[in-house]
Amino acid sequence: MTPAQTATGDVPALRTATSLVVLAQSTYRTLQTNPAGGGATAVPVVRDLLAAAVVELGDARSALTSATTGAGGRAQTAPDPAYGSVVDAALPTVRTPADVVGLVLTLEDVLAQTLVADAAALSTPALRALALRLGSAAAARKATLLVVNSLLSAGRADLVVAPPDLASLPGGVGTVGFPDTRFPTAKAAPPEEGN
Amino acid sequence: MLSRRRVLLGSAVGLLGAGALAACSDAPPAAAPSAPPGSPAPTTTTTTRVPYVGDQRAVALCAATSALAASLYSGAVLAAGDGRLGQVPGVVTAFLAGAGAQHTEHAAAWNALLTAAGRPAVSGIPLTVESERRAALGRAAAPTDLLTLAVDVEAMVGGTVTARAAEFTDPGAAALAATLAPVAAMHGATASFLLGRPTGATPSAAGAPLGLDALTA
Repeated sequence: MTPAQTATGDVPALRTATSLVVLAQSTYRTLQTNPAGGGATAVPVVRDLLAAAVVELGDARSALTSATTGAGGRAQTAPDPAYGSVVDAALPTVRTPADVVGLVLTLEDVLAQTLVADAAALSTPALRALALRLGSAAAARKATLLVVNSLLSAGRADLVVAPPDLASLPGGVGTVGFPDTRFPTAKAAPPEEGN
Repeated sequence: MLSRRRVLLGSAVGLLGAGALAACSDAPPAAAPSAPPGSPAPTTTTTTRVPYVGDQRAVALCAATSALAASLYSGAVLAAGDGRLGQVPGVVTAFLAGAGAQHTEHAAAWNALLTAAGRPAVSGIPLTVESERRAALGRAAAPTDLLTLAVDVEAMVGGTVTARAAEFTDPGAAALAATLAPVAAMHGATASFLLGRPTGATPSAAGAPLGLDALTA
């Protein structure tokens, strides 16, 4: 592989990852305006998760944009088209906190898987480190969403509080946030998807 | 950029290559012939062997770090059961056992890279921080102390693997690091949620990544 080929491959991957971040941040912001995400029927913990994710994804977007331009590419400002249509279809159906969590869980999962795939494939140590740092952050958000989703799906919104009543939490909550021994990458967006 | 499929399927070629090179230049010496009966005991020792070189040393550090995490969680489960910490909720014990089991598998995966390269698996927990971390576990006085310890452990593991991941020249090691560091992050997020900090607890200084100088093997 020549350096020119390497640089050519990095930019589409970075732009695709950025497009997923753009979409996720936009979706979180939209959900903050939904009654079930940031309004009267919102679960406070979920509301806090949305707010924190918006900030983290903003930082991720800035870092990926810098990496893209540093690699000689143009900054990506558009959302991922493939998952954008998924979000467009899902947003009008969001009614409950469980709907909110389910939607962002899908986006965090594909974002994390894409960044993890990038972390093994990008051409420079600095880019790989960036991808893994951001991928791990997305994985952490995914884990928390899995925990919350398990409780909301079981009709136990009363247990989604901070701090939780540890004695009341089902034992399965202790492991539902990390279902895989090795983080999967089968759903990673192909590098050209958001380029 | 390398093909994702090729990279993530993993390959120990680089590590094997380094191992083959090491076998030529850094292999353990053949056993000395037995001393004849009655001869005095030797008063000198042979040169200390350095079993890991290049990527292998970083892989060994990751293996040892995962093994330390698994061992600490195993100890935490025992502590949860002996009554010293009061009634430990089942969700806490389940977390410790589940995360510990995954760390055990992670250590095995790192060690498999080493043995595939013809080098020994990491034995025990050859880390400078082991005794200090065990002491921290010993100071736990409540179930939430175990979760606070877990936040530090996962930050240490994830940070160590992430720091080494960028430097690996071996595709198999890079791919393994990329898929294991996020799992540590997920453990940390779960511990944070249980602690009542769903947006993430801040680790203490004990959560800092370990450098290669922490490896004593």
